[in-house]
Amino acid sequence: MANTLSLYRTVKRLGIPDERIILMLADDMACNSRNKYPAQVFNNENHRLNLYGDNVEVDYRGYEVTVENFLRVLTGRHETAVPRSKRLLSDEGSHILLYMTGHGGDEFLKFQDSEELQSHDLADAVKQMKEKLRFKELLIMVDTCQAATLFNQLQSPGVLAIGSSMKGENSYSHHLDSDVGVSVVDRFTYYTLAFFERLNIYDNASLSSLFSSYNPNMLMSTAYYRRDLYQRRLEEVPVTNFFGSVMETIHTDVAYKALSRKDSGKFEAKISLDQSVGHDERRTLINIKEDDEIHNIETEGQQGDTKCPWSTFLKNLQNAEYVESLVNYGLVAMLPFLAVSTWLFH
Amino acid sequence: MGFLQRPFVVLLLILTYQLLQCLVAFGSVNEGDQKQEQFTEELLLKPLPDRKVLAHFHFQSSAPPSAANGRRHHHLFPKAISQLIQKFQVKEMELSFTQGRWNYESWGGFDPIASSNAKPPGVELWAVFDVAQDQIDASWKNLTHALSGLFCASINFLESTTTYSSPEWSFPPASGNLRYGTLPREAVCTENLTPWLKLLPCRDKAGLSVLLDRPSIYRGYYHSQRLHLTARGSGSKEMDSGIVLDQTLTVVLQPSSRSAGMVHASETHIQPSWSLSSMFGKQVIGKCVLAKSSNVYLQLDSSLVVDLKHLQKENEKSPTDSLTSENFWTNPSFELSANPDSLLIEENSLHGKGLSVLYKFQVENYSESEPFDLSFTWKIPVIWSCQQAPLHASRFLMGSGNERGAIAISLKSTQLNEGFIGFNADNERCELRVDIFQVVPWYVKVYFHSLQVFVDQQPKAVSDVIEKIRVSPSKDKVSPGMMEMVLKLPCRVKSAALTIDFDKGFLHIDEYPPDANQGFDIPSAIISFPNFHASMDFPEDDSMNKSSLLSKFKEKSPVMSYTEVLLVPLTTPDFSMPYNVITITCTVFALYFGSLLNVLRRRVAEEERFLKDKAANKTGGLSVMLSKLSTKLRGRPWEPPHSVQHSSSFINSKLVFKVILVAGLAVGWQYFFS
Repeated sequence: MANTLSLYRTVKRLGIPDERIILMLADDMACNSRNKYPAQVFNNENHRLNLYGDNVEVDYRGYEVTVENFLRVLTGRHETAVPRSKRLLSDEGSHILLYMTGHGGDEFLKFQDSEELQSHDLADAVKQMKEKLRFKELLIMVDTCQAATLFNQLQSPGVLAIGSSMKGENSYSHHLDSDVGVSVVDRFTYYTLAFFERLNIYDNASLSSLFSSYNPNMLMSTAYYRRDLYQRRLEEVPVTNFFGSVMETIHTDVAYKALSRKDSGKFEAKISLDQSVGHDERRTLINIKEDDEIHNIETEGQQGDTKCPWSTFLKNLQNAEYVESLVNYGLVAMLPFLAVSTWLFH
Repeated sequence: MGFLQRPFVVLLLILTYQLLQCLVAFGSVNEGDQKQEQFTEELLLKPLPDRKVLAHFHFQSSAPPSAANGRRHHHLFPKAISQLIQKFQVKEMELSFTQGRWNYESWGGFDPIASSNAKPPGVELWAVFDVAQDQIDASWKNLTHALSGLFCASINFLESTTTYSSPEWSFPPASGNLRYGTLPREAVCTENLTPWLKLLPCRDKAGLSVLLDRPSIYRGYYHSQRLHLTARGSGSKEMDSGIVLDQTLTVVLQPSSRSAGMVHASETHIQPSWSLSSMFGKQVIGKCVLAKSSNVYLQLDSSLVVDLKHLQKENEKSPTDSLTSENFWTNPSFELSANPDSLLIEENSLHGKGLSVLYKFQVENYSESEPFDLSFTWKIPVIWSCQQAPLHASRFLMGSGNERGAIAISLKSTQLNEGFIGFNADNERCELRVDIFQVVPWYVKVYFHSLQVFVDQQPKAVSDVIEKIRVSPSKDKVSPGMMEMVLKLPCRVKSAALTIDFDKGFLHIDEYPPDANQGFDIPSAIISFPNFHASMDFPEDDSMNKSSLLSKFKEKSPVMSYTEVLLVPLTTPDFSMPYNVITITCTVFALYFGSLLNVLRRRVAEEERFLKDKAANKTGGLSVMLSKLSTKLRGRPWEPPHSVQHSSSFINSKLVFKVILVAGLAVGWQYFFS
């Protein structure tokens, strides 16, 4: 949750107003009675910066944060009664930033620990958005384990995607706040914010400088970005295209001519967040690097173990000498089916 | 020069004309005070018996009827609210966000604050619409969506018919066009408070709302923010104000007793001293300039005043009756840091237990150089208690297991009731009327016939006690069950209890929330006592500046209390079960059909021959070798059979046998069972 709020704060600092931000928070951590600091959320151990300041505008929260609502927001298919503040009002000139964090895995992202957003769903929604002329450029930023797999199915042009880790990699949290008792921020987001803290609204840093600022050793995972669908050169695109709103001011000598100034484009940021309590795998903070690697290998090993019997079985399947045993299995398996079906139809 | 002067004179003329117009306009503002939009801000502070302090903020904005104001132009009144009223034809509406539970026993249950500002946890919304009967539900649905966008909350969950109900007469502003819904589990946080503050003309930048520092408010024990709207039809009552928006925020805070403890280390029973800056971390610099009046009140409960009087009499220090004397605030029991501007004493209290006292402070007398920071220091330990509602209501669940249970509402007599016996003794049949309003979600299937009533632990016939009852049974997945009833209890009742049985229903797997194992909430029941009115009448010094808070106190509203929210655990399915079933079924099917097709389609002998032909075509030497091998094998038949052809034919025959066997078994099975 601190991940999302930190990014929310950053884009607001860079000039995007609240009505152009749709914030989805699955948890109410700030005012939960277990929070030692009521109405405050921190992203650093030093507690210097309260992310949950006086002016947070949460558009979707609690049980409203579902895959259905998320896709509705993206595709713009709402009931008529839904107010404007809960809709993504974008057009073909819009630059949209979509930031998601939470539990993730191979081609999915978990919502509320109960349902998943799959890479196919995301790709479909993006495709639909493209056809409905809902965006010009879309930057998808995902901070989960195996985040890169979520972009596999994307096909629409104008989409740029960046994930915190490659397939088979975990994303780790940055550090533990022992006063609050949870890990407060993830490494990928932390270093993204560190990059933006150096910037102000008028800086001209390009997207490629953001992408090259990720150091795999610091992240403990490899930040992956997919740019084959994006036409412009990353060196030429300023980060404020997505993360900030720079209004172009045109000096005119005659009054009222300013009305015809060029619309510098709408910037919308969309942020979603998954439940992040009880986040064992991802939020495990490891101080010593060796420990970390061990941890990493352990999880990998488990996966290998579970994979092993199946692959050997598949291999065996190809050998002709196992045909007999296979047929035996098949016939044995047929027996209960036969029994059940006859019993049912009887 | 003459040419230059002429336009100057004309300009001067124009200026004076404008100025005159302005003055005239200003005068008319003062004259037509009632016609203008108004805003008042007030804060009531009250020490509570259990070492806590109650702070009650009251902001009132009012707008004249829209006809007099030329449609849609507002100076102070929030535009969002007036649009809401116009669009959905809302006559009256109340929305409250609450965290924590009001402690009726120690924070009081009889005064206007407790009965109209103590709210159930979560979100409560009710609205009265001025539209045709068949459009109410549509209006309600749109209203919930609009409010959810306005206040950053999931109020739109109230749109489904399973969550709201329409009480007929038990809910105080009863009318046929009322809709009532609650969300007991809705979180309340700063994102709800911020839009609420944005409705104020000074936001939280000036005036009393500066005190609303988020961390200190949310650290409190109880926090309830409320928005009450009354819109009166411009046609019927032209003189009445058009829309009145009351925004109240009630907080119960624990003053940090550390500093007090340092001073009076030996006296642990002394109440903690507090000041505005110690509780809120901020001070009031001045009033909101847009506010018509900005006052802070300090209320002392009637029983506390009685206590203090007793103490003073014992001390015999002041010869005159201290209560009416002007120097009451320099009494030996406590000390105030600022001199109050006036003292208000309650008039003709109905309960005859003494009169509560109100100190009034006008914020406009303070400025940035001299900020208003009221501090209250106790000098001697005092023990008092707040006024209670006639009966203390609590609600609990009975039974165990995941199949059935019972809801019980128990009403216990409080001390206050004893005092009322004398008051009501003139009537020969003294009766205490209690209204109960209860909404139950459809998956808690209540059997209304199983209603049992116990008075003083003796079972009573339902018809003896219940005067009036209205029940609308729940419909599965359509509407919740609702129960309204009027009880008539004898005045001398010590305790009364109602029980009603229910069965727990099953939900579809999609209907469970993500944290289904936590349980499901039954919203609070509302218990009201129409015979008793929570009102406090303070005489006001000047009729010009009528305090909206005090006029709210004067209104006669029945005493109301909310019961606890109940948590019912329902049977939850294993949510991973569908995946498991799908996975294992698919695996078995794939195995069975895959292998069967493989066996039926594949011709092993053909393949072998094909391979052999190929090999023979490739190299002559190999075929010679193979033929040699075969002859050798034929020569020594006792050797282990390496010939693939032999084994394949063996498999074939075995296979055919097995298939026939299974088919035979199937036929036999079929025959046997038919």
